[in-house]
Amino acid sequence: MTTVLQLTNVSKSYGPLKALDGVNLAIPGDSYVSLLGPSGSGKTILLRVIAGFEEPDQGTVTFDGRRIDGTPAHRRGIGFVFQNFALFPHLSVTKNISFGLENREGPPLDPRTVRDKVAAVIDLVGLKGLEDRGVTQISGGQRQRVALARTLVTEPRLVLLDEPFGALDANLRMRMRTELRAIRERLGVTFLHVTGSETEALAMGDTVIVLDRGRIGQMDEPDTVYNRPASPAVAKFLNCYNLFEGSLASDAFVSPAGRFPLSASATRRPGGPAYAVRYDRIEVRPAPAETAPDEVAIEGTFVTSEYTGASVLSFFSLADGRVVEVEDHLSHRAPPTYAPQQRYGLVWKRDAALVFA
Amino acid sequence: MAMTTASEGVAPSAARQRALQRTALWLLAPGVVWMLLFLVLPILMMVYVSFWTQTTFTIEPTLTTKSWVNFFTSETYLGALWTTIRIWLTVLAATIVVGYPTALFVGLFVRNKTLQTVLLVLCVIPFWTSFLIRVLAWRPMLGKEGAINLILQGLGITDAPIEALLFSDLSVVIGMTQIYCVFMVGPIAFMLARIDPNVIEAAQDLGAGFGRIFRTIILPLSMPGVVVGAIFVSVMVLGEFATSAALSGRKVNLLGNIIVTQVGSLKWAFAAVVGVVLTVIMGAVVAALLRVVDLRKEL
Repeated sequence: MTTVLQLTNVSKSYGPLKALDGVNLAIPGDSYVSLLGPSGSGKTILLRVIAGFEEPDQGTVTFDGRRIDGTPAHRRGIGFVFQNFALFPHLSVTKNISFGLENREGPPLDPRTVRDKVAAVIDLVGLKGLEDRGVTQISGGQRQRVALARTLVTEPRLVLLDEPFGALDANLRMRMRTELRAIRERLGVTFLHVTGSETEALAMGDTVIVLDRGRIGQMDEPDTVYNRPASPAVAKFLNCYNLFEGSLASDAFVSPAGRFPLSASATRRPGGPAYAVRYDRIEVRPAPAETAPDEVAIEGTFVTSEYTGASVLSFFSLADGRVVEVEDHLSHRAPPTYAPQQRYGLVWKRDAALVFA
Repeated sequence: MAMTTASEGVAPSAARQRALQRTALWLLAPGVVWMLLFLVLPILMMVYVSFWTQTTFTIEPTLTTKSWVNFFTSETYLGALWTTIRIWLTVLAATIVVGYPTALFVGLFVRNKTLQTVLLVLCVIPFWTSFLIRVLAWRPMLGKEGAINLILQGLGITDAPIEALLFSDLSVVIGMTQIYCVFMVGPIAFMLARIDPNVIEAAQDLGAGFGRIFRTIILPLSMPGVVVGAIFVSVMVLGEFATSAALSGRKVNLLGNIIVTQVGSLKWAFAAVVGVVLTVIMGAVVAALLRVVDLRKEL
């Protein structure tokens, strides 16, 4: 796959704070890339550096084969969809969408061409019938479509979306997910979608990039990121791993919660020492738990549980106050009932754990 | 059963609301009384008096249009009307030319809110001295032996002092522009500061250079500020008399100066005619400016 955007060793600091710390990144063409990071991880800054609203302190940005760091934003040809949409409040839907075609540098387009292109994109994003409305007179979802259409009509090869669903309600968010992916596929351009939601990142991206304190933590396909996070920090953002710190002995991981024997074949990933077990890989048994030789067990007190529809999330507190979360998928079993303040054995297979050396 | 309770519940609450609205109207009473006594009544008086009969030493309530005919046939007064309009338009243009870039800098390029406030307060500092001192201070600046002429001669740029600097249209325009400019800067800076920086970045991202962005985004979004500023400046400049009296050496006569002179010589009827003319002009100017931008949308 061809690379449309390449970042080499890009850094950007604000005073003592390193917002971007030597970012190396190659974004493939014709794909949906989601960029996941908690707030403060530098994801918006990264997007703004690519768009040209900020210049990197060092490093190079190459787009479409030419170097663009130092090029003003309006000559880069990269689309940007803002979190708050940033529509032109005094213009109608059509005028907002045609803005780029009518006002960009270079020889003006023939008005007929502009009209046709705007009509086509209005059709694409589903804004028919709202052409002459003011952008303050339409709903949030429709505004989102105008913001998208306004960018797409200029035919950029790369579109940056900064938390595009941040201002939408949950229902609309789900619908826009599928729609956004469909629109991208029809146009064959690259979308770089920044989000703080791990489910959104995994659901939408062909490739998921995890940003961790100004560095690329991992860049992989969604299921690789989910099942084999590259570092404890990535595992933590995914919001589905119990993480234990501690130290690594020859045949076991020693944590304050106990000694976890390791299987001989366990791969040790860099970035630790840490030990991670996914919420849904833990089985709850009455204490004291009987264990098979290939299992690890600790004891915890049931605190409370949370029903999410397809699964139940239960919280157990360990002796040192740490909370372990256990997820039971309801398609497998009936909803579990645990007695409050009762001690239970939490058991998982040695192979199910991820070990970071 | 439930229906009746509901309808019974609605009726008293609607009645209560109406009663509340009636009570709320009383909040307007002090303002209405004040305006009736000190604005509407005097204006009606002014219109009435403008039709009284004026002789050299007395004034009688016999209705006549003599003062009106006098105003519209006298070259002096029509000249003053024209001067007023000319000076007003010049000052209006000058305050926009000086004020808009200032406001653009403060409102758009200074993104630190504290610094923005500090800069706007700086614009108001001249108001800490009295109006007359601010006006009169221009005399030692612009005079024949004034600072500007001394500097120009000292640098060898001119041989003789430029006399047109003081006691001319120019000095009146300079003085008024300096005094009223801040009323233009304030509203424009306020509107500009309200523009979401992302909106400008979005326009940039869509390929527009700064010139285009200014014309298509910044200027239209700041127009309400320009209109409000223009209303402030127009109303104040049209009624001006002190600046022209102090800086024109009585050479520039505005309608305001004529009123002062006529009142001074007890020609009430005539002063009233000029007052009515001035009020009508101001009303027309404000109405015209409000047609430029729909301020209701901005509130």
